[in-house]
Amino acid sequence: MATVAAAALVLSGCSSDAKKDDNAGISTDTAVNIAWNQPFYSFNGNSITGNATANNVILYLLQSHFNYYDADLNLINDTSFGTMEKVSDDPLQVKYTYADTATWSDGTPAGPADLLLEWAGQSGKFNNVEPEYDEETGDVTNQAALDAGVYFDGATPSVALITDTPVIEGNSITLTYSKPFADWQVSIDNNLPAHIVAKRALGIDDPTEAAAALVDAIDNNKVDDLSKIAKVWSNDFNYVEMPTDPDLYVSSGAYVLSEYKKDQFLTLKANPEYKGDNKATIPTVTVRYNGDPMSQVQALSNGEVDLINPQSTSDVLTAVKALDGIKVETGTEGTYEHIDLQFANGGPFDPATYGGDADKAHKVREAFLKTVPRQEIIDKLIKPLDPEATIRNSFTIVPGAPDYASVSEVSGQAAYDVVDIEGAKALLAEAGVASPTVRVLFDPDNTRRVNQFDLMVASAKEAGINVVAYEVQDGWGSDLSSATSYYDAALFGWQSTSTAVTESDANYRTGATNNFYGYSNAEVDALFDQLQVETVPAKQVEILGQVEKHLVDDAFGLTIFQFPGVTASRESALTGVVPLTIAPGIFYGFWDWSAGSAAASK
Amino acid sequence: MLTFLTRRIAAGIATLVVAIFLMYLLVDLAIDPLADLVDSTAPNKAELIQARINLLHLDQSVFVRFFTWAGHFITGDFGTAWKTGQEVGPLVGHAIGSTLQLVTAATVLSLVLGVAVGVVSALRQYSTFDYVIIFVSFLLYSLPSFWIAILLKQWGAIGFNDFLADPVIAWPTIALFAVVSGLVWMIAVGGSRTRRIQTFAIAAVATFSAVAFVQLTDWWSTPHFGPVLIGVTGLALAFAVSGLSAGFGNRKALYTAVTTVLVGLVLYYPMQALFDNVDESNLLIAGLAVVAIGIGYLLGYLFRGPDWRVSSRVGAIVAFLVASMIYIDQILQVWPAYFRALKGRPIPTFGDSTPNLGGNYWVQTLDSLTHLLLPTLTLILVAFAAYTRYSRSSMLEVMSQDYIRTARAKGLNERTVVMRHGFRNTLIPLATIVPIDIITLIGGAVITEAVFARPGMGALFVTSLQHAEIDPVMAYLVITAALAIIANIVADLVYAAVDPRIRLNP
Repeated sequence: MATVAAAALVLSGCSSDAKKDDNAGISTDTAVNIAWNQPFYSFNGNSITGNATANNVILYLLQSHFNYYDADLNLINDTSFGTMEKVSDDPLQVKYTYADTATWSDGTPAGPADLLLEWAGQSGKFNNVEPEYDEETGDVTNQAALDAGVYFDGATPSVALITDTPVIEGNSITLTYSKPFADWQVSIDNNLPAHIVAKRALGIDDPTEAAAALVDAIDNNKVDDLSKIAKVWSNDFNYVEMPTDPDLYVSSGAYVLSEYKKDQFLTLKANPEYKGDNKATIPTVTVRYNGDPMSQVQALSNGEVDLINPQSTSDVLTAVKALDGIKVETGTEGTYEHIDLQFANGGPFDPATYGGDADKAHKVREAFLKTVPRQEIIDKLIKPLDPEATIRNSFTIVPGAPDYASVSEVSGQAAYDVVDIEGAKALLAEAGVASPTVRVLFDPDNTRRVNQFDLMVASAKEAGINVVAYEVQDGWGSDLSSATSYYDAALFGWQSTSTAVTESDANYRTGATNNFYGYSNAEVDALFDQLQVETVPAKQVEILGQVEKHLVDDAFGLTIFQFPGVTASRESALTGVVPLTIAPGIFYGFWDWSAGSAAASK
Repeated sequence: MLTFLTRRIAAGIATLVVAIFLMYLLVDLAIDPLADLVDSTAPNKAELIQARINLLHLDQSVFVRFFTWAGHFITGDFGTAWKTGQEVGPLVGHAIGSTLQLVTAATVLSLVLGVAVGVVSALRQYSTFDYVIIFVSFLLYSLPSFWIAILLKQWGAIGFNDFLADPVIAWPTIALFAVVSGLVWMIAVGGSRTRRIQTFAIAAVATFSAVAFVQLTDWWSTPHFGPVLIGVTGLALAFAVSGLSAGFGNRKALYTAVTTVLVGLVLYYPMQALFDNVDESNLLIAGLAVVAIGIGYLLGYLFRGPDWRVSSRVGAIVAFLVASMIYIDQILQVWPAYFRALKGRPIPTFGDSTPNLGGNYWVQTLDSLTHLLLPTLTLILVAFAAYTRYSRSSMLEVMSQDYIRTARAKGLNERTVVMRHGFRNTLIPLATIVPIDIITLIGGAVITEAVFARPGMGALFVTSLQHAEIDPVMAYLVITAALAIIANIVADLVYAAVDPRIRLNP
């Protein structure tokens, strides 16, 4: 080879053949590339199948909604799409009016039929058949009935409260709740185009007629039509590569889907039909799929992507900080860490252990919580990833949300900010319980949780409390609910997806889904009953404050920290990224993005 | 033979069934389909959990679920990746395509390189070259592939792209590189003191000139072959191929090789015109390759010589090589445009294509190749080490056989002894290893695919496992297990075919 090349040097006085200097058909569009870990798989982000972050972040750019969160987690009404107003408190009635500028990307105006379809899909009202399974084989036994029946793959409890069919008047639609509901503002929103669903289901090409037929089917409960509509709504919009029918990606937002290569990338182009306020500032956005955090950092370094939001570890943070021309921001993400105590498992925190002496059990709980080294956990494990990390002091409100400060002040959880070994000892002495053993449930495969556990063990030991890891029965996730007698405290994270105030109901109400601990406080239950039907925001905050006060007074547990996140972007390609704590994270505020210095100089 | 096959296939099916059953139980233990719902605070969490239990029949025993799944699988219903609602059949089809693209080139290249280096290493047993190769192959063999992959990305992609921004190598660096190259060639070729010094000098000067040529002609920014380089390289290859395959004594073979190169050169400009005026596709290119090989074969037949088959073989090999160079030259012609479109960073670190690139067949091919470059290199480095070890030990064993001594005793020249009597027999043990290796690669490029985010079989397996989707995981396991069993049977058959001492029936 070397000889060959040497000979070549001698022989090639001339610079060989004429090169083709045309661009061989290469596209000259410039795009902003964003790395994401999981590929998009459903255009219907409100179905049970499609409701996942992977879909919702993309749909955030594709769909318009009546409201969205701003950077301070205030709910903002997008009046260029439509307005929503509460017209009556009892019964709770909400009127949605579509703006003239609300348009689908095929040119059809968005209208009340779209919201009516969404109600039909999520309320479960029309579902008249559920799959039945053969005991022996697990096969579906009622396939024929399923085919003929109506089954929308959607279930949203708050939408189910709207039992009467919504009433359409011109460009407005009024929803009537059967009982007042606190989070009515985020309960339902525009999703799929009704005229496309009707076109596919009923075979009507004209958009106006199609939408009218869909409204007719819902208003008059035409089971045959609804059966077809439900199938289209549930299944047709699930796809993992560019669908052949362009109807399946008709969107209402600033962008339209222009290319989707399976498992590789998805390209969005500015929607020429979009007339709203939150316009696309970057003409082409490409989301590229790469699941490995370190691989994302290298792709950023190599210029293949311009914005990454990998899972934060100290390795990733170090690597990304070492890159030139990259803006690195650390912040918080939607999940928060917390520790909850078991009230009814015969363990050290259960009054039954002390012959029903609730006061004694309470003192032991309080003593244990006083030893939890929250600040130390944050200093040692979280600050390296987010220097501004602080203790989260609210059971119900995301830090940074408007009411976080007031609620956490009322709750008094801040009293546990500093570890109080002496206080813990005194409480144990008062209770007359010497060196109790606390079994902590956590995910043994999660290094950060193991480290937190170690810090807790050391701190509790000083107060004479013996903290041990619980014996895994089936896996920590299922043990939470099914092996309650094996653990006394549970350390894990809750994901918050919105600032809906009723979200915490399931965690703390007696017997609720996420209350694995036998915690029961009649006053808390009563407060949640009030909260469910309270529609005035100021009152909601007041109730949440009282709920939290009870939780702290009952020594229910502690919240520890918000998960740290890292965002890195190439400043020459993209500026103006302001990640939101809750979904859609880095995609928030795309209308304020700008193309960066490199594009500007071209 | 038939008895053997029947017995092996029956045993294979039995193994497969047991393995699949055990795998199903293990996968079921390993995954938790409800995991993502555990820390959810959705208000309808209980309903979601119930819906999922119904969907996946989690309330049934794992045995019932296994037999249900197996029943469906046999009837051609491979199930669904429930999280995204995708049918498993097309998922697997897509993944196999991507994996084959990756492993084909990697296997062929690592086999050719590994065997060549191993054989040379064996011929120079206990020389410095041998020790260096032993060291390098053990080093590569022990490196985990994800580590190689990350280093390759750092240097081969990020570093190389940075270098391309201003492609100038310092002259002392080039000189050092030339000296190292001279040393490697010197110890590989070996021989007397004078011969060593000659080799060193030629190799060092040649390397220096080659790199200098690349640097001075701005080859980095506009890489190309052109007729001159194709001619020179082609002639060198013609000599090498006819020398190794037929011996220089066989003049007719040499004439065939040289004529083939000349024919290739004559066809160079007509080919340019052809490529400019047709819609290319892989099928057309494959067809042209076959035509080229045919021409080489025909030329050998026309030159004849002592054995026309030898001449034809030489002609076919050289024709293939020259045609490949013309093909690569054609791809490289779009390099400047490609380079501009990627803002001067042509080597990517992940994926299998550049989004929104557009472009004609040549651009698309170049884009696939740049994306294949690093993952292929990763696989080659690992597999190369293994093949070197196998072929070295196999060659050593063969060369100590009596029939080699006999061949030498009857006065055959060294080339014939090594190439015909030694090398051919060396390939026998390799014939049993290669089919199994290919299978392992198809299922086993898991890490490489994951690190390079290529949507192949390995990636399918890993993501399905992470998503707790048992159907695609099992489809993957069935395919790899079945292929492994088939590969073993094929290996036995190949062994019997190449080694007359082996009989399949007792």
